[in-house]
Amino acid sequence: MQKRQKTPRTTAPNLKPETQNLEPEIPFSSNALRLSGRQWMVVGLITVAVFSLTPFLWERVETFELGPDYRIPYRLGDDYWMYQRVCRRMCAQDKTLVIGDSVIWGHYVAMDQALSHYLNELAGDERFANLSVDGIHPAAMAGLIKYYGRAISGKDVLLHCNLLWMSSKKHDLQTDEEFSFNHPRLVPQFSPRIPCYTESFSGRIAIVLGHNLPLSGWVNHLQVAYFQNQDLQSWTIEHPYDSPFRAVTLKLPSVDEPPSPRPIAEAWSKRRIAKFNPPWVELDDTSFQWRSFKRTIAILKRRGNRVFVLVGPFNEHMLEEEGLAKYNTRKNVVETWLQDERIAHYIPSALPSDYYADASHPLSDGYALLAKQLLDHESFIRFNSR
Amino acid sequence: MLFHTWIFVLFFLVVYPVYLLVKKTRFKDVWLLIASYVFYAWWNPLYLFLIVYSTVIDYVAVVMMDRSRRKKRLWLVVSIVNNLGLLGFFKYAGFLTENLNYLIGRLGLQYALPAPDVLLPVGISFYTFQSMSYTIDFYRGRIKRERSFIRFATFVALFPQLVAGPIERAKNLLPQLRDTPHVTRRDVTDGLSLFLVGLFKKLALADYLAQYVDPVYAVPGNYQAPALMFATFAFAWQIYLDFSGYTDMARGIARVMGLRLMLNFNNPYLATGLRDFWARWHISLSTWFRDYVYIPLGGNRRGVFAMYCNIFITMVVSGFWHGAAWTMIIWGGLHAVGMMLTRELERSAFYRERVPKVFKQIFVFVFAYFTWVFFRARSLGDAWLILKTIFTSFVHFTWAVFSAESLGDAWLILTETLTSGFTDSGFPLLALGLVVAVWAYQLIYESKVKQVLTLAPVRVGLAVAMVLYIIVFSAAGDQPFIYFQF
Repeated sequence: MQKRQKTPRTTAPNLKPETQNLEPEIPFSSNALRLSGRQWMVVGLITVAVFSLTPFLWERVETFELGPDYRIPYRLGDDYWMYQRVCRRMCAQDKTLVIGDSVIWGHYVAMDQALSHYLNELAGDERFANLSVDGIHPAAMAGLIKYYGRAISGKDVLLHCNLLWMSSKKHDLQTDEEFSFNHPRLVPQFSPRIPCYTESFSGRIAIVLGHNLPLSGWVNHLQVAYFQNQDLQSWTIEHPYDSPFRAVTLKLPSVDEPPSPRPIAEAWSKRRIAKFNPPWVELDDTSFQWRSFKRTIAILKRRGNRVFVLVGPFNEHMLEEEGLAKYNTRKNVVETWLQDERIAHYIPSALPSDYYADASHPLSDGYALLAKQLLDHESFIRFNSR
Repeated sequence: MLFHTWIFVLFFLVVYPVYLLVKKTRFKDVWLLIASYVFYAWWNPLYLFLIVYSTVIDYVAVVMMDRSRRKKRLWLVVSIVNNLGLLGFFKYAGFLTENLNYLIGRLGLQYALPAPDVLLPVGISFYTFQSMSYTIDFYRGRIKRERSFIRFATFVALFPQLVAGPIERAKNLLPQLRDTPHVTRRDVTDGLSLFLVGLFKKLALADYLAQYVDPVYAVPGNYQAPALMFATFAFAWQIYLDFSGYTDMARGIARVMGLRLMLNFNNPYLATGLRDFWARWHISLSTWFRDYVYIPLGGNRRGVFAMYCNIFITMVVSGFWHGAAWTMIIWGGLHAVGMMLTRELERSAFYRERVPKVFKQIFVFVFAYFTWVFFRARSLGDAWLILKTIFTSFVHFTWAVFSAESLGDAWLILTETLTSGFTDSGFPLLALGLVVAVWAYQLIYESKVKQVLTLAPVRVGLAVAMVLYIIVFSAAGDQPFIYFQF
């Protein structure tokens, strides 16, 4: 128990404020952690130093090889700090960055069977770099490029447009019902409002702050790379007797590591996937994903990048007649917009049916064929021959 | 709006600069009241009607007491009945209905009272008690009437301590609100220090321990004795760190505004007796019950038996204040028994002078530890199951040790049981390390070598460690405080 200090007597009690004698009566605390202004400044300085230096030094300790077909390991798909690092490294080389979702990342294929690999193989050099992220949709892509792709400036960018993200209100993030979608931290947190996204107000502020604080990205990197996507405390609940220091092996997941669950690299028809008839959304200002795609292009162009857009190729064989007609209408809208904006683009016809694993992902042969078509296409030749 | 969320940071970034600008003007109280009501309405705007209603009744009651001495008692009764009525309706109606229905069923009647479907307004137990203390103290002639309704409403609703205390007394807080606050640099640094400690207690410790406690107490039947023991141990610390963390933050926020709130926790697990424990645990509530229940009942003025009756009543009522459940009543009752027991022990010179302090501290912790089972368990059945599992296991273990053929065998059983008990429980070493560190810190703080903790490098080092730990290792904090439910 703290001892009471004696209250000093005052000769003129009525002239003093009533609270004058309160301080000695109310103990400060039950601990000794009482810092002066100067000491708080020291705490602030040390904290800022740690904030700024740790991510910087960590990059030097935790290294990775950027091979010719490098793609961000599947497990690090939510690790945007890592994306930033990879982005900086790739941009330091004079490469054309191939950016897109799992279609370009190569969800069903190994890294040496993805589009960028075949582009390099057929072009005979190592010009194309796979800077895609599995599961990223246009709204998240805009956030990824805006906050973590700042190094992409003055580069050649091959940007993929996957119309699957506009195939229903749910894909377009327009439903009122909350559901868990990919990369929520990358979507706009306050405006425009996403009805199915119900993160708390405080959580959104934290996310916005996190986009601008390298330490926040580094902390997330630790969690994703070493602690199974959990904070340290939650991790110790599942691993009560393991040392967190031993968990930080400084060895990043292998680029060869397949996605989990491991995808079956077979043609969709062999996997007995039925045809479908998506409702689609209109590609006008009401489509959130379409607006986001346009925003990504605007960000890239603002940063002085040359952008080439590859639309699809969607697995049209999987669409029923009505769905196909709607798809073709949307494809025309995209084409018209790209033409109006004078953006170089290529909208290939559908690949042979057996070259698809599902509605949008080609298999290895599909990527090889797509790469060939792309390299033979006039506008891409122009884009590529700067 | 929780203190450890960004929305509160934003709220405070708006409220504080304006407060500093207007603190010397008449607009200060209005601004504090607006801020407090916005803070409260963030949970549910409808709650505002309740707090305004309670405030108006108590304000009017005191005005009427001031005007008419003959009807003073009547207006005190109005205030108390109104406050307890509100509390009773919102907090205890469900409990009462449930128990009445049980009795009706036992009588064989085919009737059941409809269960009231009311939401418990956050902080109602705290602000009704705070408001009531004003009317009672005025009735007793201990304080002057507050003439400004706005100031009185601010006293009732002051946002740092509105939802979970400390339950301030009018004689401490109202004069501070009447004065022009002097916000010094020291106030700001002290406030930050208090806030940091509270934040660390909440995010790094309480919420962490909750991750172990919650699943175990959700289905205690699925766990063995070691896990139940560790979960209870973890809860004992969780509730202390959660609640004292909240009050540290509340006091820190008030401090940067030049307001001093009372100390609410004073290292309770270092108490050497149950009376000492309650002098250190939720001090604002225990002193409230002392002043407004125990002493009016007669306190210790009418002999030992009456005193023990008064202790028992006060502690049971205190338990019931914490929650409308039989487990809470038992928890209060057990603490009453503990208080009587340690009071009797403390009467003996041997216990007072010969028994080492550390044994007394361990006794108090172990006693509090087992009572927490009732506090945390979801039902009496769960509490009974947990205690039965723990004690059965303990009896088996003791029997095995004492029936061992040799001292070596006994030692082997002892060490194996302890080791396997720890590994079977799955209690994280890191959590254990942190709790032990807090305990050690408190022991040093109350020892002769306390000066070590006041050294500047130690304080700065600890502050840096806490800041970094919170940022790097803690989970994102949006877990509500345990005491919000009371």
